[in-house]
Amino acid sequence: MSSISGVQLARMSSLLSSDTMTQQVNNVQLQLAQVQNQISTGIRVNVPSDDPGAASAIMGLQRTLSAQGTYTTNLQQSQSQLGEVDSTLSDLNNLLTQAQTIASQDVNTGVTASSRAADAQVIQTIYSQALSIGNKQFNGAYLFGGDKSTTAPFVQSADGVQFVGSTNLLQNQVDPSTKITFQASGAQIFNSLSSGANGTANLAPNLTGTTLITDLKGATGTGVSLGTIQIGNGSTSKLVDLSHANSVSDVVNAINGAGVGNITAQISGDHLVLSTSGNDNITVNEVGGGATAQDLGILKTTGSGAGASVTGAGLQPQVTPLTSIASLNNGAGIDATHGIIITNGSITKTVTFGSATTVQNLLNDINNSGANVLAQINSAGTGINILNTVQGTNLTIGENGGTTAADLGVRTFSPSTPVSELNGGQGVGLAASGADFQITNSAGASFSVTLSGAQTVQDVINKINAAATGTNVTASFSTTGNGIVLTDTSGGSGNLTVTAQNSSTAAADLGLSSPALNNVVTGSDVNPVASGGLFSDLNNLASALAANDPAKITAAATALQADQSRVQLVRGSVGAQEQQVQDMQSSLQDEQTSVQSLMAQLQDTNMPSAITQYTTLQTALQASLQTSAYALSLSLLNFL
Amino acid sequence: MSLLGALNAGQSGLAAAQASIQVTGNNISNAGNANYTRQTAQFADGPDQQIQTGVFVGSGVDLTGVQRQIDNSIEARLQNATSENQSASTTQQWMTQVESVLNALGTTNLSTSMNGFFSSWSTLANSPQDAGQRQVVIQQGQALAQEFSSERTQLTSLAGSVSSQMTAQAQSADQLSSQIASLNQQIVVAKAGSSGDPNDLMDQRDADLTQLSQLMPVSSVQQPDGSVNVYVGTEPLVWGAQSRGVAVQTQTINGQATPTVVFKDNNQAMPLAGNGQLGALTDLGARITGVVDQVDTLAHNLISAVNQLHSSGQGLQGFTSVTASNTVADTTQSLDSTAAGLDFTPTNGSFVVHVTNTTTGQATSTLVPVTLSGGPGGTSLDSLTASLNAISGVTATDTGGVLKIAASGSNVNLSFSQDSSGTLAALGINTFFGGSNASDISVNSTLAANPNNVAAAQNGDPGDNQTALAISQLATQSLSSLNGASLNDTYQSLVNGVATQVSTATNNVQATQSVQNALQTQRDSLSGVDINEEAVNLIRQQQAFQGAAKLISVVNQLVQTVIGMVQ
Repeated sequence: MSSISGVQLARMSSLLSSDTMTQQVNNVQLQLAQVQNQISTGIRVNVPSDDPGAASAIMGLQRTLSAQGTYTTNLQQSQSQLGEVDSTLSDLNNLLTQAQTIASQDVNTGVTASSRAADAQVIQTIYSQALSIGNKQFNGAYLFGGDKSTTAPFVQSADGVQFVGSTNLLQNQVDPSTKITFQASGAQIFNSLSSGANGTANLAPNLTGTTLITDLKGATGTGVSLGTIQIGNGSTSKLVDLSHANSVSDVVNAINGAGVGNITAQISGDHLVLSTSGNDNITVNEVGGGATAQDLGILKTTGSGAGASVTGAGLQPQVTPLTSIASLNNGAGIDATHGIIITNGSITKTVTFGSATTVQNLLNDINNSGANVLAQINSAGTGINILNTVQGTNLTIGENGGTTAADLGVRTFSPSTPVSELNGGQGVGLAASGADFQITNSAGASFSVTLSGAQTVQDVINKINAAATGTNVTASFSTTGNGIVLTDTSGGSGNLTVTAQNSSTAAADLGLSSPALNNVVTGSDVNPVASGGLFSDLNNLASALAANDPAKITAAATALQADQSRVQLVRGSVGAQEQQVQDMQSSLQDEQTSVQSLMAQLQDTNMPSAITQYTTLQTALQASLQTSAYALSLSLLNFL
Repeated sequence: MSLLGALNAGQSGLAAAQASIQVTGNNISNAGNANYTRQTAQFADGPDQQIQTGVFVGSGVDLTGVQRQIDNSIEARLQNATSENQSASTTQQWMTQVESVLNALGTTNLSTSMNGFFSSWSTLANSPQDAGQRQVVIQQGQALAQEFSSERTQLTSLAGSVSSQMTAQAQSADQLSSQIASLNQQIVVAKAGSSGDPNDLMDQRDADLTQLSQLMPVSSVQQPDGSVNVYVGTEPLVWGAQSRGVAVQTQTINGQATPTVVFKDNNQAMPLAGNGQLGALTDLGARITGVVDQVDTLAHNLISAVNQLHSSGQGLQGFTSVTASNTVADTTQSLDSTAAGLDFTPTNGSFVVHVTNTTTGQATSTLVPVTLSGGPGGTSLDSLTASLNAISGVTATDTGGVLKIAASGSNVNLSFSQDSSGTLAALGINTFFGGSNASDISVNSTLAANPNNVAAAQNGDPGDNQTALAISQLATQSLSSLNGASLNDTYQSLVNGVATQVSTATNNVQATQSVQNALQTQRDSLSGVDINEEAVNLIRQQQAFQGAAKLISVVNQLVQTVIGMVQ
């Protein structure tokens, strides 16, 4: 506020007095206008310059409010989606209860075949209702399709219901640091994709120049954190900045580009090697507390002497879709020429990988084979899994004359399979005492085989071969498909036969009960991976009822019980999520209220003080005007 | 002693009183003229006459001059204060307009538009399969682009107004300095050989100086011949009867065309030091350009950050063909080189091209490495086109620096992912925004025409929302290109900067105003006319006149008496 105070005046001119009064009135009016604006708008800070500090805080709070608005929308959306999942699961649960009630009633003795057949129809209806629940849509998206929500996740195929949805569930942000999942997994609820060949082989790819740093687990298994390393040769050292390296070749090029002595880096297998053509005593050190050298496996704080190479630790490259097949198994690759035979239910497909160069090609070949399987890289990035997408079928994966399935670790039945796991875990029924079966060759010579003590299928083969000495019969494991093969080269006129002994079921359990063809008994695959699932269990119940088979009704009912408890488990976790969403909504509301009140404190006019100020200014203005009017009207001239 | 001497004395008194009354009359009639300087008539005793040896009697009064009551040091300080005050109020006036363009606490501003845009991505993440929500995202993107370009247009038009006002003010300053020069000349002529001052001319000149000091910081030095020399800083502007003149010339300062106030005679920049309206306007040009630059930086980083995520994402459907929206100037040079001329600079890295068979839904992916060298030898558009063409199912063509990637085959389409190099974003392939700053930001036109290409997914599944989720989080994410600040932080500091400038200017207006008022008060106190004082003067002069007249009348009677004695 400008004023004339502080200026000592000798003389008061007319212009000065009128100017001074004008200034005073102006000042008061200006302030009045400001206060009036504050009172009429209710806002103290109208533009940031009114109070830059407060304005900055207000804008921060405005952004917070806007973000909270978004979070509120997301929470509402999550709530409605989870609510829909909840009520849908409740419907599914009711259907399962209904099915089990029918099963428990119909398993009783005295229920007639025709009433069981009639109930089979009811179960069929429940089955289709469950299927339509699986394909339920909400908001234009399939509720249980995961991130493949634009197509129906459950498809009726020839052998059963196939799951073509995704197990990736959508999330959204509900506060600055929290994401919540607002979908439930269709695969989990309906127990799809729960069986298949989980690859046992660590495919251990070698490094290539294009291997991305982000795809390395690094020497310590925790990934590679890029930074700067220091490379020395005993006399000089240089810093090598690797922070922008994208691929392994970027690292190699950076080290080579630094040109420390004659030190060069190269890729070898799954690791890096620093070597020298001169007498460099190679050291590699971390810089500034980083862990880059260690993660790259080439940390060498003390040199090993002049001319010695540094062989880095393995960097554990992960298997990615882009990994080349040739680099797998430490560069040995896989048998890509023969391929694998997949049998899933009634479908048998031979998949060859002749044109595949990357893991993605290989997966595509399998997924495209029509065998209704889902091949994917496992979550650890070490190998591949082949999952059965169809419920209620048996899946076997065998060789096609080569070693492809074994190389990939996906062969479902092999010499190393434990005997106890065969036939769906029932193992092999051995004789209480004595031999288990007798093999007679075409020349009529026979021998008995005692399997007691055999742990694996290879043990069984060895025992047969040991017992067969001199009979020209050899046992081996099939190189095409899966099974034990008995070959008779004695050249007799009879037939090669396998006969059970001592009430042992071992021959049948090992798949050797089929008759010989051309003196060869080709054993069947007795270790298929059976896929269960809610739909197949309902289907089994319907078939059991139709077939009037109480034992199977009981089995199906037991399976349905497990299905129901799984549904209830998922429903429970969905309920807990709903609860969490509700809690977050109410706490978000509280936060919004407190943000709004804080903003009001900062931005809004303090009415009592503003009005008091206004009144004071009004009085001041009145006083100014009155004194001015009086003072200006005073003049000596009036008195002359 | 003679009666006639007394008569003469009386006559001189009459003349003096008359002159005084005229001065008083002039003072009274100029009481309301702010430029007027109070004048007082100066008198001296008439020469003594020796009436007898050793006895002297005065011979009345002599009018020696009419003087202006003025303190040149106050005038100089007042001119200074006026320059400063005008500078502050001009700055405040314009920066307030900048502040109102930003409208930071209003309902529509960059912050609300950004919030709306990012929020629409979050909503898309709730239902990524929804084509309608994609339309909303595009609309919000367009609204944001519109807000950017409208604010920028308003700011640049403000800068334009500043520069045209500068031209107008420079013309006034030029005129004023010429007037001062011509007044100098008239004053010198009028004063030559006389003891009095041409007060009106001097008042006129002072008024011109005051006006000039509103426009620029001037200091004036009185010369013995009555003229004043006017300086800007240490540079003379008016020297006697010569004015160097004032003009505006566009000069290149720090690589930017900047309107500058110069001396007309040699185009030398005036040392205005930000004072006066012209000084303030010169600085305002730079200040507003600074704000425009900040808005551009914000837009540039927003475009870059959104595009980097978007170009690695996938929409509801793949592309059968996609054309780059940015042109590469030299297709043989590394994409990060200046010769390549891209607004956004890619870095070393790689991206993945997926060729999807629409019948089977199976994708074949190929890693495309981007190794840059800053010149020849690195990945250029030519080499990139070649490596894209090497991918089965992809046809890449380069037409005049514009890359076009098409799927070859009828049931094949393309998508992109994992671009760690920023190459796709830099070339404008599968990007959300086109343009590179606030002036040309827009939603990629091919995207606007086909909302299904809005990329919400990151893993290729049409129902995936990871890209949408990542973009929705961008506003608060620390960006290395902004030295670790987020987009929100950057906007906040832009607004804070302007707010601080306005509030500083407001404070300066008040501070300089009170200095100016104090000086003006002192000046008015000394040089202003007081009616009451003049009235008193008038009475005194009336009495003096009456006295002198009476004296003459008495002396006349005495003379008559003496003549009568003779009769």
